[in-house]
Amino acid sequence: MKLTRGLGLDRFSGLYLLLIFIVVFTVWQPHLFPTVSTADTVLSGQAVSAMIAMAVLVPLIAGEYDLSVGATANLSAVVALDLQTVYHWAVIPAIVVALLSGVLVGIVNGFIVVRLRVSSFIATLGVGSLIAAAQTVISGNNEPLPEISNAWLNFTQTTIAGFQIAIIYVIALAVFLWWLLEHTPVGRYLHAVGGNSEAARLSGVSVDRWVWTSLIMSATISGAAGIIYGSLIGPSLTFGPGLLLPAFAAVFLGSTQLKPGRFNVWGTVLAIYVLATGVQGFEYVTSAQWLSSLFNGVALIGAVSFAVWRQRKMSQSKHEIIYQTEPPSSSSASSSDSIAPEQG
Amino acid sequence: MEANDLEPALEIAGMSKSFGHTQALDSVNLHVSKGEIRALLGANGSGKSTLIKILSGFHRPDDWQLARVAGQNIDFDSPKFAERLGIRFVHQDLGLIDSCSVLDNIEFVDGFPCRFGTIRGSESRRKAKVALGLVGLEIDVTTLVRELTASQKTGVAVARALFGGTEGVHLLVFDEPTATLPAAEVEHLLEMVRSVSRQGVAVLYVTHRLEEVFGFAKAATVLRNGREIITTPLETLTRHDLFNYLVGRDFDDSQSKSEPLSDTSPVLEVDGLSTQQLHEVRLSVQSGEVVGISGVTGSGREELLPAIFGVISRKGSVRIGGELIPSMRPNFSVRNGAGFVSADRKGSGGMMNLSIRENFSITGLREFWRWPKIRKRAEAKAASEWLGRLQALDPTNTEGTLATLSGGNQQKVILAKWLRMAPKVLMLDEPTQGVDVGAKAEIHREILATAEGGAAVLVSSIDIDELVRLCHRVIVLRNGRIASDLRDADLTATNVSRETLLSESVMDVPAESIPA
Repeated sequence: MKLTRGLGLDRFSGLYLLLIFIVVFTVWQPHLFPTVSTADTVLSGQAVSAMIAMAVLVPLIAGEYDLSVGATANLSAVVALDLQTVYHWAVIPAIVVALLSGVLVGIVNGFIVVRLRVSSFIATLGVGSLIAAAQTVISGNNEPLPEISNAWLNFTQTTIAGFQIAIIYVIALAVFLWWLLEHTPVGRYLHAVGGNSEAARLSGVSVDRWVWTSLIMSATISGAAGIIYGSLIGPSLTFGPGLLLPAFAAVFLGSTQLKPGRFNVWGTVLAIYVLATGVQGFEYVTSAQWLSSLFNGVALIGAVSFAVWRQRKMSQSKHEIIYQTEPPSSSSASSSDSIAPEQG
Repeated sequence: MEANDLEPALEIAGMSKSFGHTQALDSVNLHVSKGEIRALLGANGSGKSTLIKILSGFHRPDDWQLARVAGQNIDFDSPKFAERLGIRFVHQDLGLIDSCSVLDNIEFVDGFPCRFGTIRGSESRRKAKVALGLVGLEIDVTTLVRELTASQKTGVAVARALFGGTEGVHLLVFDEPTATLPAAEVEHLLEMVRSVSRQGVAVLYVTHRLEEVFGFAKAATVLRNGREIITTPLETLTRHDLFNYLVGRDFDDSQSKSEPLSDTSPVLEVDGLSTQQLHEVRLSVQSGEVVGISGVTGSGREELLPAIFGVISRKGSVRIGGELIPSMRPNFSVRNGAGFVSADRKGSGGMMNLSIRENFSITGLREFWRWPKIRKRAEAKAASEWLGRLQALDPTNTEGTLATLSGGNQQKVILAKWLRMAPKVLMLDEPTQGVDVGAKAEIHREILATAEGGAAVLVSSIDIDELVRLCHRVIVLRNGRIASDLRDADLTATNVSRETLLSESVMDVPAESIPA
């Protein structure tokens, strides 16, 4: 335990793993792997996944699930493309309206969770299904035509030093969320609500308002992710739902990293890119299609069981503390205060 | 069964147990015969819970001369000895699953009668009916538990404890079964207990409500400070005698209170406050005043402070500094200068997985917010200062999670988050529960300092000594109403205990004239 703490083998295990991947694959495939094009494939290839994971992250911090993120992303992609190709709107208004469709989903989710008191798991599952229906109606179930205007494509595909600009959006979003969630009262309230909503309420935090806000944020970020997908990759009626589970996996995996036990932005981003790097490397080595699924599954279960094991070790010592203070109604001062607090 | 009456069911002699320096049980004797109902009485901290926890195998006694159930020695080292020796428990928290039927709740414990993996419906219904018959409860076994009355639920818990018949069951222990029962339903429950005892089962009955043991239990054993004070038949005893055994003469009734307050205008005004338990409570508290709330479980004591703060729904008006506070809007109360420390520290007091610093500052972040970020260093410094003032274990530890602290230190963090806001009204529900003696003194000192700083303070506690030592006046609740408001010379531990524990007011009545 001492060794893992000293080198940070637990909270930085993702970074170590990333380094190992880079070294191993560089040695193994020296011509293919260590190139700018590989880096770009990994980075911008995961731009949408990373944004969806960050969308899921916000309500999870407040203790709520948003299962409609994939459907929302898909909807806004279809809206953005259809407005341009069918209705011949300009790029900017199309993007704005597509983003607003995401905001609207968030408002509806929040209404159902906060006002109708439906659990967010059920509410967003249902809304996700409704969005899929709405999308079919809007698009007439025809896949939108690819928009080929330069303004639309350059929006994500402009390259700077070999990297597509989409990755800049991911970094900007991550920095913004890191600031918002870790350095402002908004983030603090969200963490408080997720930590113990009743205690937060008794401390004067408007729990309902923050839950609602978190759901609007997740839907808006999903909407943005959908627009980026439409520009970067192209039209699709079905890409959204497949993004949902990997996003949750990344957030949970990320909560074992950097700030263990706490959902956090950089942990989430790290999780996404460690997995993507590994998968990319293996793809150069072997063409087996099932490898990436296997790899993702092993990493998720492995990392989370390690985190659970670690937490159980901590709560065992916590249990001793509770045990020693509990029995008599007026226990002696020495017994309860002699236990040193364990620091996470 | 008459012949069995004098056969011993439970024999305990010379049993002792200590926790650290606290002697929880000191050479206690307890003999209960078959078919007898025995009341086990004592104030908080008298040792009765410890005794029950020893019988259930939760604690191991340090020393004993004799411990037998129906003639068999208790082997405290063997797990599940209680079940094997036929000791059954009905705890205050009944542990029933509300959304399941009576039948399911009874049979979850001993297993459903099955054939080829399928539940035999008629057989299982028959067995459940037999179990309910033992307590004289006639309800449809397919009823969901949440549809039952409070006393029926207790009955189901008893039936579950006796499932499989009373054969082999020698002792049934009730831990405050009537604490949360409406007065009208108490008699139903007592009748069920009688019906069980008639089957030859010895009953050990723990309660805070003195009046219900008369005419019900044959004898009472009174514990105080871990010692058995007396075991006496109840027939010849008056309530007043029993009360004196219970509280003893070791109260310090001398006045240690700070001087009475000069008249200032009330900061907190409550009028017509009603909840499930409370009826039309009217109350006003001045700046600088510490007001105690006493009352047995179910008297409305647990609901008063949450109702004022707006955590549970209420009728009636609450004003803080003249400003009307809406119900169910705790953020409104906070904005108007109220603070509330909940009795349920884990459930609603603190955010256990967040850091001490974050728990400390959550009541108001404005003070630490400077664009573009929260100044964590200032936050940590303020937290450290307050924790140092409250003499927390390690004031420099602000980044550990709240869960890693001991109960007393957790309470100090929760208290600090309100004290730093300089509240106009501070409401504390069981502020020193599960807190060690040292921490208790520091918490008391800070409460008084806050009042001297101009806050109106309300303290609700089951610890009467604490209330008398701390408060300028104590309000006693009974059946949801304010039964008395004790202050100045009337504010003594004896008076508060008497008002709290007895069913009718005995103030101004000479002790000799209290009817038995």
